[in-house]
Amino acid sequence: MRFIAREKTQELLESLSAEAQVWAPRELNGSGGTVMFERWSPGDPIAFEGFSTLSAKDMVLPRTEKLFGFRYTAGTGNMLAEALEQGAGLPAQGKNEHLDIESPGPAEKKVLFGARACDAKALDVLDSLFNRDDGSAYEDPGYRARRAGLTVITLACTSCDDACFCSSFENGAAEKAGSDLIFYPVETGFLVEAVTARGEQILSGGEGTVATERLFEESGLQPPALAETARVEGIAELESLLPAIFADLEFWERSTAQCISCGFCTYSCPTCHCFNIHDEMRGDREGERLRSWDACMFHIYTQEASGHNPRPTAAHRYRNRINHKFSYFPENQGQILCTGCGRCIRGCPAGLDIREVMAAALARARERGSGEGLAGEAPGAGSA
Amino acid sequence: MSTIAQAGRKATDPLRPEPATVVEVIPETPNIKTLRVAFDDPAVTEAFRFLPGQIGQLSVPGAGESTFAISSAPSRTGVFEFSVVDAGALTSAIHELADGDPVAVRAPLGCAFPTDEWKGRNVVLVAGGIGMAPLRSLLFHLLDNRADYGTLTLIYGARTPDDLCFESDRADWRHRTDLDFTATIDMACSIWDGCVGLVPTVLEERAPSPENSIAVTCGPPIMIRYALESLAKLGFREEQVYTTLERRMKCGIGLCGRCNLGPKYVCTDGPVFSLAELNGLPDEM
Amino acid sequence: MSDLVSRIKEALDQMDLVLGWTASGAGGVGAPARFYERADAEQAVFDSTCVHNLAVHLPRLKERRVAIVAKPCDERAVNQLIVEREIDPERIRVIGVECPSMLDVKSIWRCFGYGARIEDDGERLLVNGAEVERARFTQQKCSGCPDHDAAVTGDRMELRERFKAMNPAERREFWREQYSRCIRCYACREACPMCYCRDVCIIQADGSRWAGGGVSAHDAEMMQLIRVNHLAGRCTECGECERACPAGIPLILLMEEQNLAVEELFGHRAGEDREAKPPLLTFNINGDGWEQR
Repeated sequence: MRFIAREKTQELLESLSAEAQVWAPRELNGSGGTVMFERWSPGDPIAFEGFSTLSAKDMVLPRTEKLFGFRYTAGTGNMLAEALEQGAGLPAQGKNEHLDIESPGPAEKKVLFGARACDAKALDVLDSLFNRDDGSAYEDPGYRARRAGLTVITLACTSCDDACFCSSFENGAAEKAGSDLIFYPVETGFLVEAVTARGEQILSGGEGTVATERLFEESGLQPPALAETARVEGIAELESLLPAIFADLEFWERSTAQCISCGFCTYSCPTCHCFNIHDEMRGDREGERLRSWDACMFHIYTQEASGHNPRPTAAHRYRNRINHKFSYFPENQGQILCTGCGRCIRGCPAGLDIREVMAAALARARERGSGEGLAGEAPGAGSA
Repeated sequence: MSTIAQAGRKATDPLRPEPATVVEVIPETPNIKTLRVAFDDPAVTEAFRFLPGQIGQLSVPGAGESTFAISSAPSRTGVFEFSVVDAGALTSAIHELADGDPVAVRAPLGCAFPTDEWKGRNVVLVAGGIGMAPLRSLLFHLLDNRADYGTLTLIYGARTPDDLCFESDRADWRHRTDLDFTATIDMACSIWDGCVGLVPTVLEERAPSPENSIAVTCGPPIMIRYALESLAKLGFREEQVYTTLERRMKCGIGLCGRCNLGPKYVCTDGPVFSLAELNGLPDEM
Repeated sequence: MSDLVSRIKEALDQMDLVLGWTASGAGGVGAPARFYERADAEQAVFDSTCVHNLAVHLPRLKERRVAIVAKPCDERAVNQLIVEREIDPERIRVIGVECPSMLDVKSIWRCFGYGARIEDDGERLLVNGAEVERARFTQQKCSGCPDHDAAVTGDRMELRERFKAMNPAERREFWREQYSRCIRCYACREACPMCYCRDVCIIQADGSRWAGGGVSAHDAEMMQLIRVNHLAGRCTECGECERACPAGIPLILLMEEQNLAVEELFGHRAGEDREAKPPLLTFNINGDGWEQR
């Protein structure tokens, strides 16, 4: 493998920042040790050993994204309105304004340094929904552009804490999907492995790339042993077992009673991607349509204009969260919507541990026998 | 994989709407208006096709965007219609629109009624309130292709006579001999000498035969529940019954995660579902 | 602890459920729990890791009769909810417990690893078997609490002292930096017992024009100022907002300042008296100077 000395990482990032925005984990001032992915500038410290409180999904799914701008202009620049006025026999009431819709600019190229395997794998999971190439679904051009312009340099984990559970998934801490380059910590620096062509470009240079190959040297060192985390046994069985306990609302109430619907879990999760679309005016005539993170844990997430809410309590919403992550998304996209990063566990102010809920759900579902049919009542049968 | 027909174009930027203009505003009831809309770009108008049951996202940029069934006849070109209840901030803004005002539209979205599969069968439509909007589009389609279907029955109810939509269409439908149309209101009143009774009750009284029939129902959730019960009582099997669902929607293209019923999204796998499909999904109505 | 268990069992005779804690958090720390049957109550605990303000659940359980195990600061939140008529005192029972002051569990875990074993007998505080300085790991909100004599040191306490010494221009810059980290997750609001508007909050409601919804220090500041203003004289400084914040923004600093102002102007502190008339929520419709329009 190639090797890069620890102190040379600053130089590497500086070179890469000539072509792209660089983001890296940093400890925030006066925050009691909170680490976040922040925009990196030459000279900024990097929290190599830290683990960010929030995920890196902002790289591909920004917290708030401008979908397009719009502008109303007075007058009849609108061909149809003109036609109406001229002779269609209809009175031209109303504002007769013209509406312009303007696309946002192109996506910035970014380099994410210091992702963990769980963060990189999460990008791969999100790709299975937002970046499908097979014509089966609607395209998300914003996501695609950002994903294509993102380089992911992952720091492999040689240790973990009690909230991590990435070993519950196939490759655990050795997962490579989603990474372009992986840095394995060794004593004076990192052994480096290229996973994609882009990663190889950084290691070996090539036409049109910033010259970074000089920072790496050959090494005979062995890569370190990677972390083994706690495991949730049977996580893949949830896909077929969860339907059996869907209607068991009492189970969901009891196992999620302490949830306060704050949304921390959703916002810090690298795979949660539900979003809201809303318009904001900037003055009387101009505005933007924005896409922002949303959370199915929020009370009004499914609130309808009539006042009816299909998920009125925290139990209903948490049930949907678990089902989406471990049953619906695997059924539709073939991937589990979780990578075991443990952020939701560390951050939940009410002490909820998703692993305990999963284990309880598995036990309860197995108790009830196979998931034959739906334990729910048919819509026509008048149940609430 | 849904057995329901898919008909929709996949735009290169499906979150970006097409500018359009309000051609006419038709007041239907004290809180419902129909907006007749045309795309500004003639090329878009030329290419625009939809099937009955499909939906569109109508927006007044600045006020927001929301989902509405396309309520006009698929065979009608140039303009299309949304029927909108005044229920919140955005729909209030829509209700203030006048002829010539600009709007923006993303359409068609969602799955249509599988009308090809229904050829040769009798079709029973059971609608309540604004639920008539998607069924109106469906009815126009069935009437435009009348010879392809058996008997056509429509039961359409609302709270009061003032709450019934599509007055001029109803006048038409009353006079047709190839359509059995009953309009009903919930409680008797002096200006109404027609049928009185809740829609599911009237449905059971009319008792359409399930033999070689399809039933389609749409309306407020509580009406749908009782209508489905009534249809079951009349002997309609779950594969014979269809409905179109409403949920709070945002993206309309199966990405934002909001409108799911189990693993299905109302915006892409629906909004049209057969009862057989619904019975296989978690009960989150 | 047996006294607490029997009080919970007694409450269950008349109430539908009891809100309290069990030692089921990581490493055995207290985690919120609900007791529905007498048998459940055997698991009840109360110790210095039971930091959560369970009063936040009360407005969400209005259709049930609920008893709540409450520290003095939690009880103040219950009182304030009653003053505001958000909950019915006939359907609530408070099981008050003496508070030894609360540990900052997240801070302990940041230093010693998630799930580190915490043992506190009231005298010594042990983490993974080794003694640590209690004052350094006590919740900042516990300093100055009239119900116990807690000494608090450490980074967060120092931050408070630094903040209090700042002039307005310095505070402006301080908050600008803090708000640049706000991701508008609204965990602060959801964790707050007084923010029972939940997500029909004026800031988030569709159609709201008071603050943009996106990530910007300016919009985040607007949001927090709205929150602080709406909570003036109502906030009982339970600290849950700050504890829930993913970005670690020291929100209690804002609340403290606002509450101090209300105390100076009106001689009122939230939650101390169930009969109180909160100064910013009460007006005399027939009083002097009031004109019908």
